[in-house]
Amino acid sequence: MTARSLPVRRTRIIARQFLHRSLVGQGLLIMLFWLAGQEIAKAAHLPVPGGVIGLFLVLALLASGKLQLGSMRRGAKWFIAELLLFFIPAVLAVMDHREFIGLIGLKIIAVILTGTVAVMVSTALAVDFGYRWLLRREEGLRHAAE
Amino acid sequence: MLPNDPIFLTGFWSALTILYYLAAKRVFRRFPKPWLSPLVLTPLALILTALALRTNYAAYIGSTHWLMLLLGPATVAFAIPIWEQRALIRRTWPVLAFGVAVGSTTAIVCASAMAHWLGLNDALRLSLVPRSISTPFAMTISGELGGIPDLTALFVVVTGVFGAMLGDLLLKFVPVHSTLARGALFGMGAHGAGVARANQIGAEEGSIAGLVMVLVGLTNVLFAPLLVLVFRA
Repeated sequence: MTARSLPVRRTRIIARQFLHRSLVGQGLLIMLFWLAGQEIAKAAHLPVPGGVIGLFLVLALLASGKLQLGSMRRGAKWFIAELLLFFIPAVLAVMDHREFIGLIGLKIIAVILTGTVAVMVSTALAVDFGYRWLLRREEGLRHAAE
Repeated sequence: MLPNDPIFLTGFWSALTILYYLAAKRVFRRFPKPWLSPLVLTPLALILTALALRTNYAAYIGSTHWLMLLLGPATVAFAIPIWEQRALIRRTWPVLAFGVAVGSTTAIVCASAMAHWLGLNDALRLSLVPRSISTPFAMTISGELGGIPDLTALFVVVTGVFGAMLGDLLLKFVPVHSTLARGALFGMGAHGAGVARANQIGAEEGSIAGLVMVLVGLTNVLFAPLLVLVFRA
């Protein structure tokens, strides 16, 4: 039994060591989860992007201990650090819309600016309010326990 | 003028995009002003180059579409900061959910009402509605609503740039005390660019912003059928 499972165990250890050291390997592993997510979304006709399904797959594997944080941590930090690069091609869509240089463009910017201010202020106030409520409740529970 | 070989064009525009991005990052590191963000400088340099070489958007995006596809794996990558902050999330999830609900409603109502009031046409208005959601989600929803997904992607980026700039300013005027609210402000209001900015403020703010961004996307995709009903009626 042990004689047969030994090579399996050894390749698993080697794979893990490779992943812990290699940024490229970690990046590829993340891509693999994304592709799996895409396939699941397609097969189950889910309106959710494949990346989100991949995200939940990773969380489930981390929670069950089947995946180690170190196998993906550096790769994930790289993807998040370079996030802006992946947005840049979309900005060039503006080249197809010369009409935005003018009144329509100003109107769009007005919509985006006021909307963003309103969203940010309302969200921050809502979360701050909720957080104070949470602190008070935790305080109350602590007193009740004593 | 450029040769018309797709392999050459893909290599050329991809390399140029990445090179400009790396250069813009160095500029930003030296002068960390929001309007010098790589999200502003890189497209500006690319547009000037494209105009000089008489390249249009279709040719450019055909060559660099694969870079936008990487937003998918980048979404997967957010599993890591979420996992690392799981204790905080378990404690505060009702508060975060409340913030996402308030923020998403404000975003949709504001965009639609303002666009209507300023007399923008329906295609533009519907493309503006999902602009507070991160790109992969926003493009999906825009298509379902009857907007133009490519335009939505552009509005999402503009929102991110403005949001990252406005966030710092707003934090000076709005009495917000908790790390949680600071992170949520950036994740809800400015998605990817906001998460990048929040990460500069602090690691905890950054992961909260990342979590909120993913939550916003998920909530909106789940409620998209309802939005379609409201906006198509």
